[in-house]
Amino acid sequence: MKLDPRTKLFLAAVANGMIFTAPLVYSLLMVAVASILLLLEGKWKFVCIFFFVYLSAGFFFGQVKNLDIGTSGTIILASLFLMYRIMPACVVLYYVVTTTKVNEFLACMSRMHISNKVTIPLIVMIRFFPTVYDEARAIGNAMRMRGIRLFSLRTLKSPVAFLEYRLVPLLVSITKIGDELSIAAVTRGLSAETKRTCVATIGFRWVDFVVCAYCIVVVVMFLLRN
Amino acid sequence: MAISRVVGSVFQNPRSQFFNIDTDCELAFGCENLGMNPEEIKQHVENVVQEFHLEHLLGRSIFNLSGGEKQKIACASVSATGPEIFVLDEPSANLDLKTITDLKEIVSRWKKAGKTVVIVEHRLYYLRDVADRICYVKDGQIAEEWMPAELEAKGAAYAACLGLRCMNLEQLCEGMVRQAHRHDDIASGEIDDIASDKNNVIASEAKQSIIFSNLTFSYHHKHPILDIDRLELPCGQITALIGHNGAGKSTLAQVLCGLLGSWRQKRAARKRGTYLIMQDVNHQLFTESVLDEVLLGMKPQDEKLALEILEGLNLKQYADNHPMALSGGQKQRVAIGSGISSGCDVVVFDEPTSGLDYRQMLAVSATLKKLAASGKTLLVITHDPEFILNSCQSVVRMEHGKVVEQYPLSGNENQLIKTMTGKL
Ligand SMILES: Nc1ncnc2c1ncn2[C@@H]1O[C@H](COP(=O)(O)OP(=O)(O)OP(=O)(O)O)[C@@H](O)[C@H]1O
Ligand SMILES: [Mg+2]
Repeated sequence: MKLDPRTKLFLAAVANGMIFTAPLVYSLLMVAVASILLLLEGKWKFVCIFFFVYLSAGFFFGQVKNLDIGTSGTIILASLFLMYRIMPACVVLYYVVTTTKVNEFLACMSRMHISNKVTIPLIVMIRFFPTVYDEARAIGNAMRMRGIRLFSLRTLKSPVAFLEYRLVPLLVSITKIGDELSIAAVTRGLSAETKRTCVATIGFRWVDFVVCAYCIVVVVMFLLRN
Repeated sequence: MAISRVVGSVFQNPRSQFFNIDTDCELAFGCENLGMNPEEIKQHVENVVQEFHLEHLLGRSIFNLSGGEKQKIACASVSATGPEIFVLDEPSANLDLKTITDLKEIVSRWKKAGKTVVIVEHRLYYLRDVADRICYVKDGQIAEEWMPAELEAKGAAYAACLGLRCMNLEQLCEGMVRQAHRHDDIASGEIDDIASDKNNVIASEAKQSIIFSNLTFSYHHKHPILDIDRLELPCGQITALIGHNGAGKSTLAQVLCGLLGSWRQKRAARKRGTYLIMQDVNHQLFTESVLDEVLLGMKPQDEKLALEILEGLNLKQYADNHPMALSGGQKQRVAIGSGISSGCDVVVFDEPTSGLDYRQMLAVSATLKKLAASGKTLLVITHDPEFILNSCQSVVRMEHGKVVEQYPLSGNENQLIKTMTGKL
């Protein structure tokens, strides 16, 4: 099931818009498409984990809503709630980032006559997440050999130190990744002036129409709700 | 005009030149940027896939490739664009010897097609027949220049004193055998204590070895990457783990160290105490100072013991330095130090000598020998025959996730070289 990158962008845009302006139901509608698409890609593990976390978080907030927990408690709860509201957008973004190939994306952007100056940073972003994930995995491995695990007495005693061990090397390598990617672009001949061709075939097919129509229906429903 | 039209370059670390997430796109990427038409690109890609034998790597995510496989893709994707000038920075660092032979063929094909090829390299033997000129760079200047035959005529000792790797694998092997005999007769100078260590080790070897059983693993449920019933590592010795690219060596290392595998395998690994020194040691160092690095893994933190460990690794004067400010070899030693301090008996190294010149290789070899002499059991993944002949006592060969051979090194040197180069 291959979607055109333009459809994916549209999907991501609508999902983001819904999450910040519309009631919960609308973002759930977007989650539904994204999960179906992810399931079709065979990423059922991710979908299961997401629904588990999302539903239990929803349940948790339902329980906690009427309790009186003081100011600091409310602040923490509010930020958790914000994360909870953003989660649907993350699923959609996850779908877009993990299933879009670099060359398809480049091809569709050039078909929309968008300058490389805009496209290349976007591409670097798409390429950035999996690289960071890979890096984080390597660092996590190194930590585990040292006996620094999330679920251990030591982490419980000093969670800040754990975060430091985990994040500092990651930040160092993230700065490196950015540099490496821009160097890679130059040596492989990708720059603002290149006129490129593409072996991937892109184009709208019926799936794209279905997904776009769905998104439009959701938007219209939202606009006409009262 | 963009320089990438004329010059195709392969970096030392293939990761830093990938721009795509999957192999197919990566191979076509350079051509697409040149604006070739799609039919032509497909033809080019098909050609390099055949030349480099990449059929099994098509359609994979580049994050899921082994080190050598990444390097092959990097070389192939540059080759596909067909530039006039090729600049390769240690293209063979992670390749097995058979693939290096392929690489050699490809380089000579480029040469025939009138391309200019510049290769920065430590391994010289495969370039013996293809290179026209060898330049030796020192302090930023070309200090010497030879034809390959000239350099070879000067003899192995001359090359070694410049820090160059051997020019001829067969000779290397004979040389090693001769040297070994000499060691048996007369023990001399500094080699003396290593040699006697070796003898001690051999004496104790008969007593013990560590046995791993049921090492199986698969990334996806389809087919197993690892399928080993029994692996035996002689205690206090250095064992080399060899095998073709993608054989599953790094995977085995991670399973042994409890980074991959089932919950049961992980628990067994934790109990046993196995430590992995990764190829990219930068991933393994994350504190502010060398001393902290060693203290981190200790159960009761004992500064005196930590300093002793650093002393043993010649790092005492750097105890307060930031680990990232050290040289590559020093970083590796810091990582080893952290392994020792976490009390592991088995230390696994993933390609510790790839991309090192002869001198640095000897330094690593000396460190490992010292470590083995202190009673640790070492398993070293490597594609470097010179290193194996220099420091290992036994060899394990893997093929497609299985251990196919296991033998002590002494007496089997010729066999080792032959299997590694795929001439058997
Ligand atoms: N994360 C992963 N997901 C899926 N497959 C993987 C992953 N990592 C490695 N593989 C595959 O498993 C096989 C064994 O990989 P491994 O890294 O163990 O090889 P290796 O023997 O270390 O090779 P090399 O000499 O090239 O380093 C390879 O075919 C590789 O493509
Ligand atoms: Mg490997």
